[in-house]
Amino acid sequence: MKPGLKVGLIGAGTMGSAHAEAYRVLDNAELVAVSDLIYERAQAIAAKTGAEIKTADQIFADSSIDVVDVCLPTYLHRDFVVAAAQAGKHVFCEKPMARSLQEAEEMKTACEKAGVKLGIGHVVRFFPEYIRAYDQVKNGKVGKVAMVRCTRGGFPLPTAWQDWYANYALSGGLVLDMIIHDFDYLRWLLGPVERVFAKGTRGRDYNRLEYALVSLKFRSGTIAHVEGSWVSSGGFHTRFEIAGSQGLIDYDSRKANPITLTVNKKDGTPGVPVPASAWAENPYTTEIRNFINVLDGKDGKIVDGNEGYESLKIALAALESIETGKPVNL
Amino acid sequence: MKVGMISFAHLHAESYASALMQMPEVEFSGIYDEDQSRARKWAERFGVKQFATLKDLLDSDIEAVIICSTNADHCRYTVAAAEAKKHVLVEKPIATTIQDANKMIETCKNNGVKLQIAFPVRYLPSVLEAKRIVDSGQLGRILAIKATNHGSMPGGWFVEKELAGGGAVIDHTVHVIDLIRWMLELEVKEVYAEYDRLIHDIPTEDCGLLTMELTNNVFATLDTSWNRPSAYPTWGDVTMTIIGTTGVLELDGFAQKYDLYNNEIKKAQWEYWGGDMDYFLVRDFLLACKNNLPVKVSGEDGLKTLEVALAAYKAGKDHQPVKTEDIK
Repeated sequence: MKPGLKVGLIGAGTMGSAHAEAYRVLDNAELVAVSDLIYERAQAIAAKTGAEIKTADQIFADSSIDVVDVCLPTYLHRDFVVAAAQAGKHVFCEKPMARSLQEAEEMKTACEKAGVKLGIGHVVRFFPEYIRAYDQVKNGKVGKVAMVRCTRGGFPLPTAWQDWYANYALSGGLVLDMIIHDFDYLRWLLGPVERVFAKGTRGRDYNRLEYALVSLKFRSGTIAHVEGSWVSSGGFHTRFEIAGSQGLIDYDSRKANPITLTVNKKDGTPGVPVPASAWAENPYTTEIRNFINVLDGKDGKIVDGNEGYESLKIALAALESIETGKPVNL
Repeated sequence: MKVGMISFAHLHAESYASALMQMPEVEFSGIYDEDQSRARKWAERFGVKQFATLKDLLDSDIEAVIICSTNADHCRYTVAAAEAKKHVLVEKPIATTIQDANKMIETCKNNGVKLQIAFPVRYLPSVLEAKRIVDSGQLGRILAIKATNHGSMPGGWFVEKELAGGGAVIDHTVHVIDLIRWMLELEVKEVYAEYDRLIHDIPTEDCGLLTMELTNNVFATLDTSWNRPSAYPTWGDVTMTIIGTTGVLELDGFAQKYDLYNNEIKKAQWEYWGGDMDYFLVRDFLLACKNNLPVKVSGEDGLKTLEVALAAYKAGKDHQPVKTEDIK
């Protein structure tokens, strides 16, 4: 057994696996339990980490467990986070915090009442390119920020358990599930949002893909444009452009791949070039390391429930604007 | 064919003049400019006559004029040229008010002369290729468009509302709206906009973001900001991402470039080596005049794009979407 905090993971899907890997490499935390409705998924993580397969209730009841990590579909966050808090566990919860502000409020209250920490998985704040840009903006490298453009996506609508991403009532679609990353980053960088206007494909013509464009006006004066795309266009990529009075930062993940591998097929026909990144540390590990360090009394950073709540507000405002065709004032 | 130029207030005049000089079948007769010293400078540069008055130019045997005055002066020069039976190629935007634009269209029609608006981007080889792809149907039904027309802050009369009609929004709305209307055959129904003066100490806005509802249930955004810093490797961009049900087209109009690093310039520079859109624009206009064919970009096309820019100003002021049909 490793020294440090004992963690129980609920949800062994894509994000659960990324978090499990983080706990595996950390010195001051250990994944001791994993739970998933799909037994094989829990098994895969258990095999890699040595965690025991348990039910969520068993995890809540286990007094040796300090932290519960919730990697479930959005609409289940409230129930599991509240239960974990009531069991006296610190909680790490994947983004978006919840499907509604009411649910998010309940999560915040439950954690405050129980005196436990709540961290929300706004992992973009732990990506090195986004951190570097944040630091440079704060150091005045672009002057006063005027106009920001963000892009996220380029892959088809994700398919997961019960196809829940495709259910708008459960997932909120790409605006709530994916570009909330950019809303959160921009709010971190630029402060509060004053006004939101957005357009999206939802309810228009075609439901096999989703695409949205969001216009944000910040109290600081800055205007931002956020593009979210669950449309195939060369695979997942992100972009940001931060233009200010003294300069401009321009980032495109497609131009920042240190590796491109092309392997010819066995019959000698040309292969397809596959670009790839390479991390000093996986940003999901950085995120979890920061959260665990805070619990462990070390230096670290938590995107807490209040922050998760504020970013959720922007995403829900964008959804409201898409529905009504009107701007939403925050 | 003899062609004259009215005003070199707009920097594109130099490029159109160069285009005229490259056409052996065209005679560039000369320049009239209210600013006599500016007229002299360019007349000397191109080795052409400087006309002392507008009347002198319009009384000469030219068949067509190219007008590169301030936006507010487009109407008065176009009307004068049309009444003198000269065909008109006028810089964009067509005018600063709907009334002026209508007057220009009417006067040209009544005098039987052609009126073309200078939307050279239609003539970029990359844009023509994009249109070919759109027309092929490979994208399926069009769902959304994301576009930018960024630039550097031009200064001068471009930042005076009375002369330009506004700032970054009117300057950089019209090109892409023209592309959307022409490439995709869509009209803008409703416009929402955020714009502000956020970078430069100028009287007009320098940043703008339009969010639009188009016909056929399509939506679009367009970033019109003059936000390329002086350290940026080029003047700006024209980009469009077109989302269709079966494909996505990403157009970067000026991507045909290489990077230049020069110790004296102290910054990287993008050297564009793609086709010269201004040359193709001027040649196409003069061919339409010579052969009495319809021009590719009509006054009505110019008017439609102006409506969108004016709707954006109203929407940005009221923080509410504005219907283009309500722009009078």
